[in-house]
Amino acid sequence: MEGNLILLFLVLFPMVGAIASYLIGRANKEARNYFVAAVAVIEFFVMAYLFVTFKETTAFVWKEFCGRGMYLELDGFRVLNLLVAAFMWMMTTLFSKEYFKNLRNRNRYYLFTLLTLGATVGVFLSADLFTTFIFFEIMSFTSYVWVAHDETEGSMRAAATYLAVGVIGGLVMLMGLFLLYTQAGTLQINELYEACHGIQDKTMLYVAGGCILVGFGAKAGMFPLHIWLPKAYPAAPAPATALLSGILSKTGIYGILVVSAQVFLHDAAWGNMILVFGVITMFLGAFLAVFSIDMKRTLALSSMSQIGFILVGVGMQGLLGHHNALAVRGTLLHMINHSFIKLVLFMIAGVVFLNLGKLDLNSIRGFGRKKLCLMGSFLMAGLGVMGIPLWNGYISKTLLHESIVEYIHLLQEEGTAVVSYQAVEWIFLFTGGLTIAYIIKLFVAIFVEKNDETQEEFDAKKNYMSAASTFAIVGSAVIIPILGFLPTLTQDRIADLGQGFMHGENPAHAVHYFNFENLKGAIISLVIGLVVYFVVVRLLLMKKDEAGRKVYINAWPAWLDLENIVYRPIILVFLPFAFAFVCRVFEKLTDGVIALLGNTVFTPIMAEKQKSKKENEFKANIKSISSEIRGSITYALLMYGIGMVVILYYLLR
Amino acid sequence: MTSPILLLVPILFPLLGALVLPLFHFESRNKRQIYVGTIVVLNTIFTYLLLWYGPSEGITLIKLTSDFSIGLKIDGLSKVFAGLVAALWPFATLFAFEYMTHEKRENYFFSFYTGTFGVTVGIAFSANIATLYLFYELLTLITLPLVMHSMNEKSIKAGITYIAYSVGGAAMAFIGIVMIMTYGTGADFVFGGVLDLAKIGDKSNLVLLGYVFAFFGFGVKTAVFPFYKWLPMAGVAPTPVTALLHAVAVVKSGAFAIMRVTYYCFGADFLRDTWAQYVVMTAVLITILFGSSMALKEQHLKRRLAYSTISNLSYILFGVVLMSPAGLVGGLTHMIFHGVMKIALFFCVGAVMFKTHKEYVYEIEGFGRKMPFVFSIFTIAAIALVGVPPLTGFISKWNLAYAAVETGKVLPAIGVFVLLLSALLTAMYLLTISVRAFFPAKGFDETKLAHVEDPRWYMTVPLGVFTVAIIVFGIHSAPLVEFFTRIANGL
Repeated sequence: MEGNLILLFLVLFPMVGAIASYLIGRANKEARNYFVAAVAVIEFFVMAYLFVTFKETTAFVWKEFCGRGMYLELDGFRVLNLLVAAFMWMMTTLFSKEYFKNLRNRNRYYLFTLLTLGATVGVFLSADLFTTFIFFEIMSFTSYVWVAHDETEGSMRAAATYLAVGVIGGLVMLMGLFLLYTQAGTLQINELYEACHGIQDKTMLYVAGGCILVGFGAKAGMFPLHIWLPKAYPAAPAPATALLSGILSKTGIYGILVVSAQVFLHDAAWGNMILVFGVITMFLGAFLAVFSIDMKRTLALSSMSQIGFILVGVGMQGLLGHHNALAVRGTLLHMINHSFIKLVLFMIAGVVFLNLGKLDLNSIRGFGRKKLCLMGSFLMAGLGVMGIPLWNGYISKTLLHESIVEYIHLLQEEGTAVVSYQAVEWIFLFTGGLTIAYIIKLFVAIFVEKNDETQEEFDAKKNYMSAASTFAIVGSAVIIPILGFLPTLTQDRIADLGQGFMHGENPAHAVHYFNFENLKGAIISLVIGLVVYFVVVRLLLMKKDEAGRKVYINAWPAWLDLENIVYRPIILVFLPFAFAFVCRVFEKLTDGVIALLGNTVFTPIMAEKQKSKKENEFKANIKSISSEIRGSITYALLMYGIGMVVILYYLLR
Repeated sequence: MTSPILLLVPILFPLLGALVLPLFHFESRNKRQIYVGTIVVLNTIFTYLLLWYGPSEGITLIKLTSDFSIGLKIDGLSKVFAGLVAALWPFATLFAFEYMTHEKRENYFFSFYTGTFGVTVGIAFSANIATLYLFYELLTLITLPLVMHSMNEKSIKAGITYIAYSVGGAAMAFIGIVMIMTYGTGADFVFGGVLDLAKIGDKSNLVLLGYVFAFFGFGVKTAVFPFYKWLPMAGVAPTPVTALLHAVAVVKSGAFAIMRVTYYCFGADFLRDTWAQYVVMTAVLITILFGSSMALKEQHLKRRLAYSTISNLSYILFGVVLMSPAGLVGGLTHMIFHGVMKIALFFCVGAVMFKTHKEYVYEIEGFGRKMPFVFSIFTIAAIALVGVPPLTGFISKWNLAYAAVETGKVLPAIGVFVLLLSALLTAMYLLTISVRAFFPAKGFDETKLAHVEDPRWYMTVPLGVFTVAIIVFGIHSAPLVEFFTRIANGL
């Protein structure tokens, strides 16, 4: 072990704390709550200290660990992501105390939450893909318990899917790591660029990268591996969902970035592939979110869509080559901004669920009226994710949008066709519009419309959340406009700190976020969003019920679900059938030989078996067994062996 | 330097102890437990002393012909196998003390159980193929009464199958031994093989055929397809037997013998890239997938683990038949780590059977709530066996897959894919048990399980020790792997 021991501490401290909290929790629940909060707060402050005093990259190496060594490193990119992770864990832990007050198995929840924290920190710190893989796998398994927490039928099903995707993704990724290792000769993230740069025949490298992409993409929720996401997020308790969406999905992005920015730096083919997946993920998520009538599901699909935005940025990095400044900065900032936004939104969903026990829009309608704290926080986060100027999402989305525009300009200068990238730009803006539509849908339903049945009851709820929860939600929400109002002071500095990881070039000139050119994209999206909301949502997705009230309807056909029509049939029906078939064939192969021998060479023994049936049952059985043995392939081989020995003796004499 | 005659002690001591055991009519269970426990612990200590400070030269006990003798010697490979067996035996015995209170004829059981210890150490200490063969046959005979212990119809059937398969296998192995005697320069184990290429001349195909026979012959005990059937059937034996003998001692003596034959008799250089290698490797890969798939189908807890053993034993053999030092390292690593993981899994299942007499996967709904210790350990061992880092199973699978990729050939590359597919199946057939135990389906009635509880320390201590080993060796495997690397390079 050598290097900066604080890095190891960051990983191990929550894990040790997890076990301690479990033991404390068996004796005293109240003490356990304080202890867990203390662990999360200490982790955050250590991280904050490292962030504030961050000057240069430090590393930690434990060569013997797990056969191939543990390599940790703290650079600008990692310190940023870790700060966000520690912050989110602290806030959700503070929120958890109230959220879980009536739920069971809290001890288990806290145990696995802290274990996951340690593993997540490990993923972000890792400087070697092998180390990344180790912590990534631990994280997949420990976070399974979150999804399964409620133990209802739906959550168990979602958890099973989550686990299956995690395990399969992990195995495919391991395969990819093997291939990468044989190609590059190293898995050290810093060395990958040099090692892969000179490889002429890139075919195997693409296969390796594809396998690794499957593993990380599954965790990020990239199409077509997103199937677990819309089910698992709503199934988990709200604080856990905030973490799943805000941070765990980013570990997947982290891995994709390692592959994209180290192995395939400036590789246009790879960039195009990521771009295609990114565009589909982005659009599909937002499209489904407009249809959703469940608050958490909408937010889950929104997360998927935002991951798509980030992936678009990753793809553009590959395409833009040395002009990657905007794409790199946009990707990084959108990762960070999305974390804060979803933290707030999912905690608000948690408050709603805590008070009402429901999340479908028709039941929770009007809950937020006259609740200023809640409404203000939702507004901040909502405006952020919508990409409205002066809120943080605007900055990162603008950068991403500009990176596409820049690429189109570059192509035009070269004189190549740009139609497909113009299509990407329009899908990008249109998806921005869909984002605006589904956030307005949520906002109007919860905070504007009146509930015809239970509005008075809702309005009477004054103490709808505790002081700690209020602190967690409002404290997180405040950050969003700060980041958005002062982009040059906050966001540009964040981007400067973190862009080195992705080999980001410095931008040619400072970006003026609020000039007309840049505001235009946001305005187009806003117009599209309002049109979609008033035309599609209000007219097509709402109907009058018998009592004449307008209600939200679920217009998305339930059968249209990739998991149920493709993945589950393949894994649960087709594969077992194939395996069982092969097994049967092999089994019959041995038995068949025995039966053949029994009917041909060993017929007298079979006759004897029938004779002996008249004797008492037990003896008969034993005899039949022994005759089975004598008729078996092994016995035949024994005989054959003896014959061989004799022949050999004769031959070699 | 100690005298090589001491090598006989850890073989004969438990055998003698076992021999006199039936003579005492122990009045109380306690007295017998002290007697058996003392023998096993003393023998373990003595074995380890020998492994550390023992003689480096061997001893010839009986000379049958000029180059055919019975002799003992400790080398690197012996240390690995003897070390594994000696480490597990005391814990398995402790577990058996508790478990066997539910079975009859404990005197006989412990007599054979202890005797097996000596024979297994004998296999590890064998200096040449003849001695190995002798102890190998002895092992079959001495474990037979253990398989048939409950003496009901099923167990007698299992016993007969077991002996038929084992004896048949040994006969096949004998053909290979004849080859070594004929074309080798001597029967002693020498790293790199003893074959005399001048003597072989153009008959190399015949010698390779001999190897294939030896492989499948010894492979019967390792349950290589198509000679696997005895192992799931032998699951009727008491759990300490299934756990220690049918997951470690007996089955791994088969793998050990194959390592000896491959690397110390025929020599990896002679076998590499021949049709013989492809034949055995294909069989091994089929076994891996076959075992995992059957385990997934099987609903009986112990038989599911038995099929899992079949699959995992072939992981070891896969490493061995890669015919490279790295492959042998992978095989040895998995031999040790699988031993620990599988015995932990079996003991968990044994504890469930002991406390509740439930034997099927669907019967253990919600048990995790009532037996948290046992099922936590089951889950850890299961995750380790799937190959999730940083636990032991990951290390061995990584080593195996790495060795396979390193060869740069097609069949080993398919092997890596098979390993990963099998890992997926492993996750499916083991984790479903954990999920069932910890997350029962809706409408589960906890009051029905009022009597279900964790067992007492006789059972929990071995489980705890194994779990610590799974975690510690997972995180810190370097010294062990370095040791294996030295062995695999013939140092």
